[in-house]
Amino acid sequence: MSELLTEVPAQSAKPAIFFDGVSSRRRQVTLTLGDALEIAEDGEAPVRWAYADIRRADSPAGVLRLASTSAPPLARLEVRDAALAADLTARCLRLDERQTTRRGVARIVGWSVAAAVSIVCVVLFGVPLAADRLAPLVPKPIERRIGDASEVQVKTIFGRSACEDPAGKAAFTKLVNRLRDAAGLDDDSMTAGVLPSSVPNAFALPGGKVFVLKGLLDKAESPDELAGILAHELGHLKHHDNMRGLIYNGGTSFLIGLLFGDVTGSSAVIFASRSVVEASYSREAETGADTFAIDVMHALGRSPKPAAELMFRITGKEGGSGLMTILASHPLTEDRLARMTKEDRPASGPPLLTDKEWRALKAICGSGKV
Amino acid sequence: MNDMQWAPTGSEPIPPPLPPMRVDFTGSRPEFRKLVTRGAMLELVTFGFYRFWLVTDIRRHLWTNTAIDGDAAEYTGRGKELLVGFLFALAILVPIYLAYFLVGIEFERWQGFASAPLFIAFYAFGQFAIFRARRYRLTRTAWRGVRFWMDGSGWAYSFRAMLWGLLVFLTLGLALPWREAALERYKMQHTHYGDLTGDFEGDGWTFFKRGWWLWLLSPIVLVIFPLAPFFYAEFKAREWRWWLDGIRIGGVSLSSRLPHDAFYGLYWKVIGWWLLLSMAFAAYLGGATMLVVTLSGVPVEEVFGPDNAAKSIPMLVMMVIGYFALALAVNIIMRVYLQRDLWAKVLENVEVHNIAAAADVRGSGELAGALGEGFADGLDVAGF
Repeated sequence: MSELLTEVPAQSAKPAIFFDGVSSRRRQVTLTLGDALEIAEDGEAPVRWAYADIRRADSPAGVLRLASTSAPPLARLEVRDAALAADLTARCLRLDERQTTRRGVARIVGWSVAAAVSIVCVVLFGVPLAADRLAPLVPKPIERRIGDASEVQVKTIFGRSACEDPAGKAAFTKLVNRLRDAAGLDDDSMTAGVLPSSVPNAFALPGGKVFVLKGLLDKAESPDELAGILAHELGHLKHHDNMRGLIYNGGTSFLIGLLFGDVTGSSAVIFASRSVVEASYSREAETGADTFAIDVMHALGRSPKPAAELMFRITGKEGGSGLMTILASHPLTEDRLARMTKEDRPASGPPLLTDKEWRALKAICGSGKV
Repeated sequence: MNDMQWAPTGSEPIPPPLPPMRVDFTGSRPEFRKLVTRGAMLELVTFGFYRFWLVTDIRRHLWTNTAIDGDAAEYTGRGKELLVGFLFALAILVPIYLAYFLVGIEFERWQGFASAPLFIAFYAFGQFAIFRARRYRLTRTAWRGVRFWMDGSGWAYSFRAMLWGLLVFLTLGLALPWREAALERYKMQHTHYGDLTGDFEGDGWTFFKRGWWLWLLSPIVLVIFPLAPFFYAEFKAREWRWWLDGIRIGGVSLSSRLPHDAFYGLYWKVIGWWLLLSMAFAAYLGGATMLVVTLSGVPVEEVFGPDNAAKSIPMLVMMVIGYFALALAVNIIMRVYLQRDLWAKVLENVEVHNIAAAADVRGSGELAGALGEGFADGLDVAGF
């Protein structure tokens, strides 16, 4: 008896709106809450939804919108009556199974942090290791191709063709060859040249290319000064620093970009973190090349100190703010000067160039100003 | 007179056409603000990975609170789909980036900086991504138990976008209205709601007539900078209105009464907040410096001074914290004003005509994958 009494109000028909997921027709239906939910439209066979299959769908405030896992995926039942909605909510035990819970969010956070930690570890340890191991293994032809490409770029920026004065060229070749022999570089494809640009700089490119800009030559006061700088660049070649840098930079920018995605303003974060990480890496490479230059100069019986003096003359005292120290890609010139001064030894070998050769080298781009 | 008998029994007298109908947006602003605040914080904590779920939640909020003819729409996409799409897109983009690098080297060998035009290939890919991302969003949009869907080809779209883009470039932007009309036509003609097919009836000439003077006056903006938000707001309002006026789906059509100055307030509010935040950030930095100086007893010159990186670390940490707080606040403001408020403003002025044509539409169309959204994310061309 009592069972019947409780069933009666539950079984009375209640109005709702139903979309069957097959057509967009808005159906006025009546609901019967028996052992399953019965959705009946006038003159049509009722649809039955088992309570365990019913899930909540997104809805505006004041509407309970339901879907069923056994119905067409977009079939929706909309209940606007608050009492009926409460009744239904109480019966459907797995109603909120699809909603994102606190635990779901915690899981997202946990996995993201794990992913971030792993990316940071790869950036700090994995990529440098890969770069160090892979760089010497890059086949010579590929390295040379990359070098050719960058040479074309460099020449576009710093002047079309290298300086060709015969006497100067002979002196330059002599200097480079002596350094190369002392450095033990067996790369027979190595080329070196002076480019007519007033920027005081020198650089090494992949595939054994060393370029000195005329600006540096003008500032140099002795062969030893220039030789130290050249030895530094040969150090980069010996250590495959270009290829290492390429692999390293490509890898880190990709990974850091992946990490930060598109949090608004993230490009600043990406740029900053890349700069810090890459600068520390390249400072290491520069220090390595300095060590190499010191060894080469000692092997030739010359002092490495003049090269540092030349650098100091060009850059001046560099120490900026603490931030700039962290971001600098080169060790500070004053630190390098201090280091090279410590390694200063009286000359025990013959001069690298005669006075005449040195004068010829200084005039390699012709006497005219650039 | 016997003809009457031949009338099919189901046919009813044609009802008088319904008056145009408003679109209701019932989303609560505080709720949305709470949603994006929480989302922005989670984005910070998860290093940005939460963006897939946040963008999904934003769309769910906007879609469910938009009701046409009394029935609210629904967004059925999920964050996980976007994450998977992004990972797949990454797997495809990485080799492409590598190939780009190698081809670039060959070009550079031949001529310095000859590889610069290669970025055009990425632009084309971005257009493809835009089309496919739209397809994903549309197939996750349901109304009355029937979903929207799209056919057409992303590459065909990209090809059109490139050609029109070239024309816009050559005409210094004058061809822009025609480009938009053509591209929108392609998108809408391949858009479907169930078995209804969309169309776009806006034409470039109409848009041109509404906005040509903006194009003509645009050099002024370069001189008088504070005018820029007005110009942009004018342009956007005109663009939205023209776009909405042109939309057709089956027999249903839209029209918009969006006033030309509808967005002035929005943009100025964003700028105002931005200024306020910048000042707060500057004040914070000043305060932080003072704090570091008084607490550590290191004079100011040394906090920013050379060769004591260790001493400037507390300052660095303070700056990073401040930066993240700023990014968070900007994030929230952009989403509240430029997504939610803009959405509400646009919908407020839309009218739907002949909605009865969509009263009994058969559902069709398949769900599209989220790969397109992944590409759009990877290439930074993502939309709403």
